[in-house]
Amino acid sequence: MQQTQQQATAAPFSTSTPPPSSGGSASEAPPKQVAQAMDKLGQAGRIIADIRIGADRLLEALFVAASQPHQGNKPLQLFAKEDACMRQYFQDLRSLGKELEESGVLSESVRSKKDFWGLHMPLVCPDGAVVAYAWKRQLAGQAGASAVDRTRLALKAFTDQKRRFFPHLCDGHESNGSASKKCYGSEEMAVDPKEAISLLKTLPDVIKSLEKEVPNVKILTFRRLDWLKRAVKLTSSANENSLEHNYHGSSKLRLGSVGTVAAEEVAVIELLIPSVFRAVISLRHAGSMDPNHVAFFSPDESGRYVHAWGFSVHHVFKHISDYGGTAVNYFLWNQSETPLYSLMHWICSYQTLFSKPCSKCSRLLAMDKQSNLLLPPVHRPYWQFTFKKVLLNKSSRNQNSDSTQCFAYRWSPSKYSNFSGKWFVGTN
Amino acid sequence: MPVRSVLYWKPNQGNVMTNEEVMSKISECIETLHGVEDQECHCHACVTFYTPILRDERASFADLPQDFVGVLMMEQLNKQFFVMQSRWIVVEADSLILPLIEKLSSYKPKSYITLNGTLYKMGDFQIRLFKVLPDQGNLKGIIAEIEYLPISSIEQSKKIMEEMVDTLNELASKKSLEGHFVQAKANYAKYGLDDDYTSQHTAVQYAATSLTELIQSALRSHDN
Repeated sequence: MQQTQQQATAAPFSTSTPPPSSGGSASEAPPKQVAQAMDKLGQAGRIIADIRIGADRLLEALFVAASQPHQGNKPLQLFAKEDACMRQYFQDLRSLGKELEESGVLSESVRSKKDFWGLHMPLVCPDGAVVAYAWKRQLAGQAGASAVDRTRLALKAFTDQKRRFFPHLCDGHESNGSASKKCYGSEEMAVDPKEAISLLKTLPDVIKSLEKEVPNVKILTFRRLDWLKRAVKLTSSANENSLEHNYHGSSKLRLGSVGTVAAEEVAVIELLIPSVFRAVISLRHAGSMDPNHVAFFSPDESGRYVHAWGFSVHHVFKHISDYGGTAVNYFLWNQSETPLYSLMHWICSYQTLFSKPCSKCSRLLAMDKQSNLLLPPVHRPYWQFTFKKVLLNKSSRNQNSDSTQCFAYRWSPSKYSNFSGKWFVGTN
Repeated sequence: MPVRSVLYWKPNQGNVMTNEEVMSKISECIETLHGVEDQECHCHACVTFYTPILRDERASFADLPQDFVGVLMMEQLNKQFFVMQSRWIVVEADSLILPLIEKLSSYKPKSYITLNGTLYKMGDFQIRLFKVLPDQGNLKGIIAEIEYLPISSIEQSKKIMEEMVDTLNELASKKSLEGHFVQAKANYAKYGLDDDYTSQHTAVQYAATSLTELIQSALRSHDN
């Protein structure tokens, strides 16, 4: 194959006839030139294939002649016929080669010449592969695609070509590549939020990701009306299992897992940390990924008032619900890409509501001056649950990442400048 | 149901204050925490101590469990709770069982203590402060019951309850009270009770507290 290709490339140089139509093609637009050149290269490829088949036939004829000498003229005729075909093919190839050379595809000197359109002519490498301008075309054209998509496509085209030209290198890279890719990938996850955000585009993705990170949370999704029906029938999770045996219709309580409600119909999300709290998130509209409101309740509470705008009868959850309103607004306006994910993470941080003391005064119960109530730490700083910080937290496995605050102490952002300093260590 | 923790007041050695004085000081402590007395609610409970009846002379008195206790709680007057600490048994029964026990003549009531008290509301907390009155005599002790309304899991409420007890004890010492509250120790798992709080848990705590209270007051009266 290489030999014939070399012959094909060598042939045009030996002739001295003037080039046929390449002068006319110069007046056409560069993309058309490029298309024509690609077309001609395709033709050349077909002629070369015909030549190969012809060579096989010649060999076959010789073989037959050698093995059966008494056949007489037949192999000779075959041979002559093939010879004529081959010569025709070579002739065609020569002329085609000349045309290509004229248009600058084959000759070395023209390779570096750029068109004013910025498009290089397709290049034919010594081994016959066409280095098309595909990757350049991806970058230059395609105005609609985003920069990331374009780069990704260009990288893909480039990797494909690399795999073709340097197969030995590609093999070596792949065997080590998977291991190194994994390490690189996890580091990337920590420092490249864009990659991680793309994995959280749908509600099932967000829920799956959260369930992995917070193992004891139970997440259920509902249509708006279905939630109202459920709210009245709520029991604490410990009793649900025992009740299931008694209620034949109890399976309806379980309705609202992601599998049974289509993502585009979900309007209410319930997060239950057993024995601690139940949080109800309302989405802006069915199928939206933007939270609207959140409310916290005791796991034992049930009734028509248990919804995202309702208030718990218990003061501790009332206070957290109030604070949750501020958190929702923060996540919506500062975290335009992943407000729901960040909100759900912040909600899950309350799983230690009754066990983790305040980070300032180290007490679990403190008197709130305004309401004269003894409360556990109800303030969990939502600004520490930005997407980047959650990712950083995941990769560095920092268990002491969250800080809790009791109600009695009024914080000011300046006091937490130390925290933000800690958080930004390690990011770019 | 919300978790409750039963505490009894343990006076220090050499304490000169009477129980009535201690009681009023403790009320003041609760009011410092912005606890509001519920005037309409009067808390009442009764703990009955049973003794076994020997029907067979050959049987020994000592073989039979001595610590059979019956608890009657105000909120559930139609129910009677029985606790046998040595055998880790707690039973919830209808109050109609009392005439049955009488008829069976296996156990008979020996003595009882009455708990009379007031309810204080403190946001998510409720505190019942009881005077312990024996069947005869004066105020023998003080029992407090702290209830935290948002949680029904004992595990989750442990730290909160401990901190509440510490807070009360701190306030008590500030008011120069010589003594402190002690939480009733109850090993619920051995009774077969699980993490979700029920009235049976309360009964177990009362039984533990009452016995301790009784022993301690008996010791005090012995000293006196």
